[in-house]
Amino acid sequence: MTQSSIPLDGARTNGAMSMLATLGRNHVAMTVLSGLGFLALWQVISLNVPPVILPSPASVIAAFIELTASGELIKATAETIWPLAVGLVLGFVVGTALGLLLGIFRSAARVLDPYIFIGWSIPNIAWLPLFLAWFGVGDLTLIIFVFVSAVFPQLLTVEAGAKEADSFLVEVARSLGGTKHEILFAVVLPSSLPYIIAGLRIAVGRALVGIIVGQLLIVASGIGYMFQFYGETLALAKYFAPLIVVAVLAILLNRGVNWAERALIPWKLRAFT
Amino acid sequence: MPELEFVDISKSYDSPSGGRLLALEKFAFKLARGRFVTVVGPSGCGKTTLLRMAAGLIPPDTGEIRLDGEILAGPSPKMSMVFQGIGLMPWKTIADNVALGIQLQTHRHTLGIDEKQRIDAALAMVGLTGFERYFPYQLSGGMQQRVGLARALVRQPEILLMDEPFGALDAQTRTVLQDELLALWDRVKSTVLFITHDLDEAIYLSDVVVIMGRRPGRIKEVLDVTLPRPRYSYDVRAEKEFARLRNIAWKSIREEL
Repeated sequence: MTQSSIPLDGARTNGAMSMLATLGRNHVAMTVLSGLGFLALWQVISLNVPPVILPSPASVIAAFIELTASGELIKATAETIWPLAVGLVLGFVVGTALGLLLGIFRSAARVLDPYIFIGWSIPNIAWLPLFLAWFGVGDLTLIIFVFVSAVFPQLLTVEAGAKEADSFLVEVARSLGGTKHEILFAVVLPSSLPYIIAGLRIAVGRALVGIIVGQLLIVASGIGYMFQFYGETLALAKYFAPLIVVAVLAILLNRGVNWAERALIPWKLRAFT
Repeated sequence: MPELEFVDISKSYDSPSGGRLLALEKFAFKLARGRFVTVVGPSGCGKTTLLRMAAGLIPPDTGEIRLDGEILAGPSPKMSMVFQGIGLMPWKTIADNVALGIQLQTHRHTLGIDEKQRIDAALAMVGLTGFERYFPYQLSGGMQQRVGLARALVRQPEILLMDEPFGALDAQTRTVLQDELLALWDRVKSTVLFITHDLDEAIYLSDVVVIMGRRPGRIKEVLDVTLPRPRYSYDVRAEKEFARLRNIAWKSIREEL
């Protein structure tokens, strides 16, 4: 409350400062204003460079509407989303399950950890020609590539979390009579939930990179192919349409992870909100 | 037949310097049914090791622990343990934490109506009715340990094992919870094996105080506390007998420090 008295006081001497301070507390107004500022800056720059370098916002919007109306953008989005979704879900489920098991059964983990580390360390892109040779040009290659992109960060993060499961809480559960199976579900799984979410956040980002790179370089379909095609033909106004789709997709996926975090770990106190 | 019997148990650990550290040597004691027995001793005398073995969490190297005449092989549904660190599951509500005491005892996840009533009764006993849907972090340390107590009591244990349960609490809360524990014990009448380093607490609560010598842990002296019960209704600490026992115990412990 004491903070609000400062801009009120300043209003007498500096109206603009006060307006900015009020806006600072209004997230919607902040977002709209910064968006308009961004568009204005874009417009100014585009007027001073050739359209093959930077098309104007208006031409981008026109291209976006045209590509949507023709169905091209929607078809490409669908072609991107479904292998992304299948690969990501598979990577999440397998990574989480395997991570929990390896976190508990440490002797198995000591055997498998080097392979997992190698799998995680090799840049994803190096797998792509191999998958192409094995699985051909098509969605199967994309799904497996997205899966590989997502499964390693998920697995490693969850394994670290399960390994760190509070040994005292495990002892408490044992003293109450819990079997190994019961302790997995009563202690290890819930205490790993923050790690499962953290893993998912990384997996989502890597999966998104995976699907775009796969479509752009190898499979020539969906959003990734639109980047390649409109980039090579220097049709930059159209190039921005798939870019907008990817940005929206990334925001929605992140929102989903945030929502899951709030729903699954309500007991976590946040230091900063 | 004693309810809980320690038959010449020894336990050692690997020490950081490479050798073996003997925590307990030929510890022998019989716990009669319905008695409140407290073990006191200097830190490092093996009190907590003793209680963890009694709970079936770790096995003794030699010797055996008998529960109702049978050798104890692991945690028993007849016992409940209360920890200094409390150990509530942070992701479970208060009611769910207490429910876990039954779920891991019966190995059934779904609770019956009578079991739900027992949870309500246990929470009422420790004065936490109305806090069922809170999470542990929303409760003070004293209230959290009340939940720990409710989780133990809901199992209707024959033996209650308590490892310095009030050690981490402030002095006032500790006194209040000691009174509450005695009042509860009057109702449930289970056998109690209590660990503390606080002599006043030991004498105030117990029928028998076992004083342990320093490592390797062994029994140095056993004191019978004949102070009348119920003790929580008046200031038993002002009694001459209390002072006398306290003196004996303190002299005995001081030699071990």
